[in-house]
Amino acid sequence: MSALPEFEDHAKQTVKTTTCYMCACRCGIKVTLEGNEIRFIQGNPKHPVNKGVLCAKGNAGIMKQKSPAKLTQPLVRKAGTERGDGEFEPISWDKALTLLTERLRKIRATDPKRLAFFTGRDQMQALTGFWASQFGTINWAAHGGFCSVNMAAGGLYMTGQSFWEFGDPDWDNAKYFMLWGVAEDHASNPIKIGLEKLKRRGAKFVAINPVRTGYQAIADEWIGIRPGTDGLLALSFAHVLLKNEQFDWEFLTNYTNSTQLVIHAPGTSKHGLLLRDEEGELQIWNQATDSVASWNASSHDDEIKPALFGEFLTPGAKGGITDGVADCTQVKTVMTHLAEKYLSEEYAPENVAERVGVDAETIERLALEMAHVAFKETITIETPWTDWTGRRHERFIGRPVAMHAMRGISAHSNGFQTCRSIHLFQVMLGAVDCPGSHLAKPPFPKHVAPPIKPAKAMAPDTPLSSPPLGFPMSPEDLVVDANGEPLRIDKAYSWEAPIANHGMMHMVINNAVKGDPYPIDTLILFMANMSWNSSMNTAEVQDMLREKDEHGDYKLPFIVTSDAFHSEMVNYSDLVLPDTTYLERFDTISMLDRPISEPHAACDSIRQPVIDLDRDVRPWQEVLVDIGTRLKFPALTDADGGAKFADYKDFITNWEKAPGIGFLAGWRGKDGDEHMVGAPNPDQWQAYQDNDCFFEHKLPPEQRYYRFANKDYLEWAKSVGFNAHAGPITIELYSEVLQKFRLAGQGLYDGPQPNNDTDRQRLIDYFDPMPDWYVPLEEQRIDNEKYKFHAVNQRPMHMYHSWDSQNAWLRQIMAQNYMYINRQRGLSLGIDDLDWIWVESHHGKIRCQAKLMEGCNPDTVWTWNAIGKQSGAWGLSDKAPESTKGFLMNHLISELLPSKDGERGLTNSDPVTGQAAWYDLKVDIYKAEEGETGVYPEFKHIKRLPDMAESPTVLRYHTHTPVNLERSMEDALTRGHLPTGDKP
Amino acid sequence: MHPALSVIFFTVTAGAGYGVLFLLGISRLTGLTPEASPDQATVMGLVGLALVTAGLISSTFHLANPKNAWRSFVRFRTSWLSREAVFAVLFYPLCLIWLACDWFMGNTALTVVLGLLTALFCVVILVCTGMIYAQLKTIRQWHTALTPVNFVLLGLLLGALILGFMLASQNLPLSRLVSVALGLVIISALAKVIYFYWIGQPAGPTINTALGFTRATVRLLDVGNSSDTFHNKEFGYQVDKVKLIWLRAISLTLMAVLPLLLISGVFGPVGSIALLIAVLSAYAGVFVERWLFFAEARHVVNLYHGFQRT
Amino acid sequence: MKLGLVIDLDTCVGCHACAVACKQWNTSGTTGPLTDYDPYGENPAGVWFNRIRSYEVDDYPNNKTVNTPMSCMHCDDAACVTVCPTGASYKREEDGIVLVDQSKCMGCNLCAWACPYGARELDEDSGVMKKCTLCVDRIYDEALPVEERQPACVMTCPTSARFFGDFDDPNSEVSTLVRERSGYAMMPEVGYNPVNKYLPPRQRPKAPTIEKKEAATGQTLIGKWMKRQKDAFNDFGKGAR
Repeated sequence: MSALPEFEDHAKQTVKTTTCYMCACRCGIKVTLEGNEIRFIQGNPKHPVNKGVLCAKGNAGIMKQKSPAKLTQPLVRKAGTERGDGEFEPISWDKALTLLTERLRKIRATDPKRLAFFTGRDQMQALTGFWASQFGTINWAAHGGFCSVNMAAGGLYMTGQSFWEFGDPDWDNAKYFMLWGVAEDHASNPIKIGLEKLKRRGAKFVAINPVRTGYQAIADEWIGIRPGTDGLLALSFAHVLLKNEQFDWEFLTNYTNSTQLVIHAPGTSKHGLLLRDEEGELQIWNQATDSVASWNASSHDDEIKPALFGEFLTPGAKGGITDGVADCTQVKTVMTHLAEKYLSEEYAPENVAERVGVDAETIERLALEMAHVAFKETITIETPWTDWTGRRHERFIGRPVAMHAMRGISAHSNGFQTCRSIHLFQVMLGAVDCPGSHLAKPPFPKHVAPPIKPAKAMAPDTPLSSPPLGFPMSPEDLVVDANGEPLRIDKAYSWEAPIANHGMMHMVINNAVKGDPYPIDTLILFMANMSWNSSMNTAEVQDMLREKDEHGDYKLPFIVTSDAFHSEMVNYSDLVLPDTTYLERFDTISMLDRPISEPHAACDSIRQPVIDLDRDVRPWQEVLVDIGTRLKFPALTDADGGAKFADYKDFITNWEKAPGIGFLAGWRGKDGDEHMVGAPNPDQWQAYQDNDCFFEHKLPPEQRYYRFANKDYLEWAKSVGFNAHAGPITIELYSEVLQKFRLAGQGLYDGPQPNNDTDRQRLIDYFDPMPDWYVPLEEQRIDNEKYKFHAVNQRPMHMYHSWDSQNAWLRQIMAQNYMYINRQRGLSLGIDDLDWIWVESHHGKIRCQAKLMEGCNPDTVWTWNAIGKQSGAWGLSDKAPESTKGFLMNHLISELLPSKDGERGLTNSDPVTGQAAWYDLKVDIYKAEEGETGVYPEFKHIKRLPDMAESPTVLRYHTHTPVNLERSMEDALTRGHLPTGDKP
Repeated sequence: MHPALSVIFFTVTAGAGYGVLFLLGISRLTGLTPEASPDQATVMGLVGLALVTAGLISSTFHLANPKNAWRSFVRFRTSWLSREAVFAVLFYPLCLIWLACDWFMGNTALTVVLGLLTALFCVVILVCTGMIYAQLKTIRQWHTALTPVNFVLLGLLLGALILGFMLASQNLPLSRLVSVALGLVIISALAKVIYFYWIGQPAGPTINTALGFTRATVRLLDVGNSSDTFHNKEFGYQVDKVKLIWLRAISLTLMAVLPLLLISGVFGPVGSIALLIAVLSAYAGVFVERWLFFAEARHVVNLYHGFQRT
Repeated sequence: MKLGLVIDLDTCVGCHACAVACKQWNTSGTTGPLTDYDPYGENPAGVWFNRIRSYEVDDYPNNKTVNTPMSCMHCDDAACVTVCPTGASYKREEDGIVLVDQSKCMGCNLCAWACPYGARELDEDSGVMKKCTLCVDRIYDEALPVEERQPACVMTCPTSARFFGDFDDPNSEVSTLVRERSGYAMMPEVGYNPVNKYLPPRQRPKAPTIEKKEAATGQTLIGKWMKRQKDAFNDFGKGAR
């Protein structure tokens, strides 16, 4: 019989590389095509992110491309119909863009902030942010406010790096790995690749997560923590480390602000600030002379011996030693403050055990295990390097304890401080950016914090002078008016959320409809499903989108949505600008953004169209450049108003942020032989296309660790525009920035202060300059006897972070979600598998089906997020389980905290960063009455869009006639039953 | 297992046909139908053959791709289904020749031999059909010698009753057939009771052995498919326990108790009416029995779908 | 040759990547298309060669979640082949791959009944049985780069939980893994001698801890540290510079 099958005809195939767009990983893919049909999508083995592997979503790209929910043409809401009724009519691109441009031109010429532009699963924030700046509106942000900001800010205000796109565990060297938080999150393939490496090397993997699914399944130890208490657990680890004298004295002294001196002057504006000399130099205590010295000098001068611990009296403001105590300032080292705080019995394992849901012995053991790995299993990499002071080190010393934190950490109202708490004990172990620990990914680490201030000034027809989003360092940087009232529509950078570095997209609709702080004219949304799973309180948000004023006009006058698919948000739009899929366009994943870098390489990438467009849709990138040119943005037009750039590709090639620095870092310079910095290269796109659509600058070995203090790295990072200067990135265990806000709350700050007690008290309570833990805000305000359960959600790995259509293959894996409950707990409530139950929060109730499981904290219920769909959206039939049985938890979550008398409505967000507190939710659950079945609440069926084809009832996708492998009749007739013939 | 009507009808009806033909085949030798004329014998044989044919036609409805049904003769060497198919096809010429001989020549040695050969084929085919199920190690309720025994016994039982009815309706003496039928009723009911007892005993793989985790409770968390797949539809069939007991009782009553009473003369003389009722009752009883045979069978793949045991 | 897969339950996170990669490759592969029924409706289902299930072993709080991808085991004693009446199902002599010749199958389902592992799925649209081919149209295709001559599921697996190779070669990666990691067969008692093997979750030895110090109050400790830095500040702070 024939040994080899006949193979498919490769002569009819072409292979193109590009970049996946299913989630934040942005893996490299190889697409095999037959004509304009996709034969196969696979991981690109050369790609730095995924190294050839691909997840379920990436593998289902064919069905994304084939989705019947793809938008096909621009649409406008039919005149005379109500918003949300789903009555649209086609409009030409030309008319659509003219309509929009005219509207925007008026806004820009009068009051630019009346345009709010918010983006969802945006992978080009550098472009959309640039566009908003050029337009001149501060009302721009991506979805980070309801996703990542706690993670980002927690790290960037402390270590200059963070989890997610900011850094990765050192998968190759870590011996102990702790994974925090629910949700298989940020990132997907790199974490999976890394976990396997860890397991293969025999490293220990501990999962701190109320739920044991996915990654946690393969953990060596699972700690089923109570949601919202991770920070307390981290601080208890810190307590145990201190009690057992396990902290990296040298690391703390050299690389952190532990030796800096905190002023003790209660009741004054200096209290809690760091001691500086007259030049503003931070001070330390020199034991050699028993006097203060500058931190900077102490770093260079071996004769200066900084004290890590101690409380001292320093001379008065004028300097010079005096005898009188009255002339002196009382100071204490940061480390002494930290030690005093965390040695407190409040953080002792036995005192946190019950609240955290982990027994005291386990907490202590885990901390001591990590200490053992950090200090007794230290590793070295024999590469000499130079620190920022010029001292040569013979090797990199590694404390091989690595961490990663997922959404369960960030999506709480105490998430910012929780992230800081995790970083705190990483730093105590010396396990930051050293071999085996958590490694930054270029352009990180950055200085604490990056020197960009959020824009607040606006003028008609004028670009902003700085980006809409930045890093406030003191109350002066808030985006508030003279009365302390918010200037941004989302109230980011106001007293209610001072360090809202990613904006607060989840508040935009609510605020705009209330006209608080002011009404707006136009809301542009890109890839954001704000009328469904991306909003808290979905049902009421849909009502808000329909709300009219006394003249019968919509309170939110004009909504523009750009999306590739028929989402629930499309249904609530006035103008729909259809986007392409990721396989049909050019795109950049820029170093100016959060690029695809790996710890040891700065990388960026592009997308290129691999298939031809078959619909009247345009890439949003192209549309933005087009509208910007029509509106005569200074960066896009020359003095006489002519277009500077022919199109998006031309713009990316030739626009420079600073001389030599543009969106793409690779193959710059006239001849394409300069990287990172160089003049525009007209053939840059082609160079990327020729190089599998990515650029990778590998860091030389001596630049790979201790980058916060690594001279060569810091100088390089400055030279390529990552950092403003080449000075050290000092890890700020004690945050003077937070203390300044706290002083403002206390009425002591020498500068702006809140104008009301609510904001004052929040600053006092939550702006602890040292990592802290407090009860999540919703939990502080509700009846915890009634709402006994924490309710959290996560996305299944095969749908993680994917924003678009219910994929025909992936929905076969999961088309309905359930509310999971700990088995014993569920049975004790009389709830069994598949029972219909009510889930009730302080805000609302839903009915859904229960499932019992073992791997769930007994005080927690959870579900898979965003499985539930509104009937008719995403090309699904009205009988699709996503709408008849699937549900959202969002209905239970209010965008405002439970109200208190005499207090304005406060955002249900982290009080520091404004991160949406999705996971603070607490609920009661009980069995539905006999006969009460089906999902509640129910939503109206969404109408099919004009000219949209019916979804197929049978799919037989294939790109060529199958090459059948024939068995010969002779073989079939003569063979015994096994290949070896008749068995002996 | 999903109880497919096409297969149930096939095994019950063809089984009855083979039963009729088996008894006819041995009748010349054993004198079961001493007074049937060649015409009458042939007609009764054709009735048996018609039942077989109806069953076989029904069986093709179970095939998803019947155009390839002819290929089922290929793997005679290993496949019981292939063997069944081959014997079933060979059976036709043999049976027709025998019936023709009987009709033309009457009771000759050749007829007797051909009759016996036909009878042998009937049993072989019934055994083959039984073995299609009995060979499957994946379904412990089938993987037993009781399966072919049961197929043979119930085929013969239905055959005996149908033959009895045909004799009685032509006013031919029933002779020893009643005793044979009585014996078959008792033995097959007994075999079925033994079978029910036997499948009630816990045995075979469990979710633990299926997955290789034998030291603790194993529970399914997520089956990985949202809607029913081929496997759920084919293997996931489950009957309610109470319903099951009722159905077993109904089946035994219809196929054994009622026919037993009818042919043992409890309700009066054993005539064509009594036999017709007995036939209909037994046929319905065996139909339920065969439905249960599938419905009660629990394929081991269900262990992967969360069953603790089969 | 005896080709098959080894699946590492110690690293499988249950992400379904292998299942979808398989679906994607094979829908245009030798036995494609793999039909999907009601893809946008009430009961979305279709033909898959590889399915991933998750189980929980033991009770809370000792529970462990285990993800198990399952596809054809290419059994040595493949009853699916012996029961097949048409000869459509066969086990290749040269490499042991169990295949279904799509042109010969009559769709009687008996092979699926004979399979304990749920590896065979009927394509209700074309009426023939389909199953894992071990990507026979990849592994021998010399037009593909050498490193891509592997089943699609193996190539895509993000946790490298899948290995493909020759079990007849005692030095192959798959044989070595089975030997060293106590690879086992699922449901061996059925007696099919599955070729595919599973590597059980690793039992990691207990991690050592730093020896616990005697309890001391915070103030005592800070006092001690202050004294230490004073006494011997040369040893601390800048020791490694």
